[in-house]
Amino acid sequence: MAYLTQPDYVKYICSCGQLKPITSLYFCRHCLKIRCGFCICHEVDSHYCANCLENMPSSEARLKKNRCSSCFDCPSCFHTLSTRATMAQPRQVVQDPAAGGDTKVESKQPKKMYYLSCFNCRWTSRDVGIPDQPVASGGWPERTNPHAARVNQLLDYYKAIALQEKQEKIERERKKFNIRGKYITLTDKTGLTGAMARNIAGLPSSESSSSAIASFVPSQATEEVEELPEDIFTKEVNLNQITSMPQRLASPEWQPSSVSRLHPLAKLLSVKRSQRCRACDHNLTKPEYNPGSIKFKIELLAYYHVPEVKIISHEPVKPGGKSALLLKLTNPTGHEMQLRLLQPEDIPPPEEKEEPKSIEKSLERSLNLEKDTTSLKPIEVTCEQPATSRVSAPDVTLTLAQRDDAAEYDDDAQHDTNDIIMWRKSNKLALRLEVVTDEGAEGGAPAVAKVALQYSYRNTVPPAAAAATPRDHTLYTTVLLDLGTVSSN
Amino acid sequence: MSHNVKILPGATVCEDCTLEGDITIGGGTVIHPRVTIIAEGGPIIIAEYCIIEEYSTIIHKKSDKQENPPKPLFIGAHNVFEVGCKLESPCGHIGESNVFECRSFVGVDVKIGSGCVIGAACRLTAPQTLADNTVIWGSEHHVREALEKQPSQLLQLDFLSKVMPNYHRLRKPNVHKRQPSTRQSQESSPKP
Amino acid sequence: MELQDTYYNKSEYVETASGNKVSRQTVLCGSQNIVLHGKVIVQSDAIIRGDLANVKTGRFCIISKGSVIRPPFKKFSKGVAFFPLQMGDHVFVGENTVVNAAVVGSYVYIGKNVVIGRRCVLKDCCMIEDNSVLPAETVVPSFARYSGSPARLITTLPEAMPDLMTEFTKSYYQHFLPTTVQ
Repeated sequence: MAYLTQPDYVKYICSCGQLKPITSLYFCRHCLKIRCGFCICHEVDSHYCANCLENMPSSEARLKKNRCSSCFDCPSCFHTLSTRATMAQPRQVVQDPAAGGDTKVESKQPKKMYYLSCFNCRWTSRDVGIPDQPVASGGWPERTNPHAARVNQLLDYYKAIALQEKQEKIERERKKFNIRGKYITLTDKTGLTGAMARNIAGLPSSESSSSAIASFVPSQATEEVEELPEDIFTKEVNLNQITSMPQRLASPEWQPSSVSRLHPLAKLLSVKRSQRCRACDHNLTKPEYNPGSIKFKIELLAYYHVPEVKIISHEPVKPGGKSALLLKLTNPTGHEMQLRLLQPEDIPPPEEKEEPKSIEKSLERSLNLEKDTTSLKPIEVTCEQPATSRVSAPDVTLTLAQRDDAAEYDDDAQHDTNDIIMWRKSNKLALRLEVVTDEGAEGGAPAVAKVALQYSYRNTVPPAAAAATPRDHTLYTTVLLDLGTVSSN
Repeated sequence: MSHNVKILPGATVCEDCTLEGDITIGGGTVIHPRVTIIAEGGPIIIAEYCIIEEYSTIIHKKSDKQENPPKPLFIGAHNVFEVGCKLESPCGHIGESNVFECRSFVGVDVKIGSGCVIGAACRLTAPQTLADNTVIWGSEHHVREALEKQPSQLLQLDFLSKVMPNYHRLRKPNVHKRQPSTRQSQESSPKP
Repeated sequence: MELQDTYYNKSEYVETASGNKVSRQTVLCGSQNIVLHGKVIVQSDAIIRGDLANVKTGRFCIISKGSVIRPPFKKFSKGVAFFPLQMGDHVFVGENTVVNAAVVGSYVYIGKNVVIGRRCVLKDCCMIEDNSVLPAETVVPSFARYSGSPARLITTLPEAMPDLMTEFTKSYYQHFLPTTVQ
């Protein structure tokens, strides 16, 4: 919850150089690196409507222009519209408000008529004159744009031109490899081409796009412009009747200028996304198909694999002085973890695996459906954040127990005899550390301390080509701690 | 301050609420627990079939330019005061069928017509008069005119008046004035 | 700083057998219809209207000071009724909030001074920021973060939201300790 409501005090340095809190980071099990939102691929997994929480297959979504078919937004305040029912007496004009929301069909004389209403600004579909519908869902009339026919014609024309250009390109490519075959073709024997044969049979030509191009009439510019009405400057303006710019631009095809011409807008769909590591092409998160479900099929978050550092409290930082810092370390994995705190400069550089680049290697990789990265070299981006303070790292290797969900019912923290460890509780550890600040730190500047973590990680899923036994790795992460501002003395 | 609360028969008033001053509550009105109605600047008259929900505050504030006898704050019929709304007014007339949504605030010198809706968390502090059927919504206090009347709450009132007596202690209706002589003498004395 | 402070309650809290800590200064109408599943904290001046309809909460819920939990009103064809209000596990309701929702999922964080309109549906793992207003009948999808008046979608929440809320509500409950009256 601290990550939700408080600013980020602890930021991890991602492998691409970005600073992110641990909740926004992902951990790729195959590259053994931390990834953030900027260095991964976001992909659309499924579309769903945020109101009715119904899934929509992507082909249907594309057809409906990413809008829901049954939910509407209020054109006045853009909140979701609700369907309300009234009883309509067939003889009388006066309507009595009655039951709402229930879709039981009554076969009595008064029929149930439904109208759309917004609960935020109290706009109703009756305000613009849309007649009430006898059906609870759907059935709302769609306005046709007077220019729709022309726009569709233009779209068809340009699509036909694009198709023609593509076909011409293929033809040109094909002509380069015009190898004379061993066999005589029908055309050579009889002198009859496919087009002539089709002509004789009476079938239409294969190039239907040519008809679209041929019959297209380009738009004509006219000199005449409609005159402004006489009273445009003198007529009184009633601001309540004029739409505001957001209301007008929400439906760009009509852009109504008066409030009485507003029409309900079909609701835009929301998206469930899955994320993929760019380097090795494996999925990092994959949600379930059901929009109401919060579970994931694949969930490789840094929160579950990388030890979490949290600041419990700290003394204000003075230039040239020492301050105490209390840190809490958590081991989220299911295995014991060996942890060391290092200075950021002490991290050994990543070893360059010198594999000879050969075609066999890349073929082997593509057979195993792995991405071939030997020809790609990632651009190294280092995070250039100057640290005002250094954490004096103790030379001790700390052991963090594995995460045990049943252990929460045990009694409280045990106090270790070590000076540095304050308390230890199942997979959590509280440390007391010292922060030494530079002499030259300015008063009022943000105090930033950099710490590096060296931790052991057990890989439970081995990559395809490696050995069958899980391996232990030693991984490094650099963490930035925000310690408020340097107090000026 | 005299406590002269007149509750007409048919009204459902919880015992939990704070009623101070000269208050008249019409029949059919439902007042939920933890409501504060303070009539320090003059009497408050609440008409029938109103709903006043929890934590609402209706204060008839004392103002310097007070007339003597003080004008009552009259609240029309079929008004709905939702949770946490606040109404402060030295004098005035609140029309009928208004809806004061959750945590709205209506300050002094605001006159409200009929059929208005004051949206949730909206605050009306400047002196103004709201025409009939005005809707105020949103954090920026947009104003628009409602062309439809708000749905009536009679069904809810019906239900509440049947269910509330089972769970709450209610104040009994009393149509007669309690102490007419002491009330007049206390009104003329200067208030501290 | 980051890790929560210890909250002290005085001897005004009643602790039930299932671990619910309820303040004596709350207004619980119709308490026979209110089901607090276990380890729920209800702080002072909260109002839970169980007399209107059933109110059910899950485990490790926190209802802060001055909140009003009220079942919404629904009109059926045969008449009217108050709709039962269901809250999931690990829900945090901030101070002075009015909750009129029909369904509140699990792992939900509701800020303070929030107005949740009637018959709203809040799905699991969503968050409503402080001082926002949800108009009636809004559906808040999972992992959404809403803010403003009327509340609109601001951003998506991290995927670890269930764990964050679990950790928060559990540690809040553990740190909610009685002080001895001196």
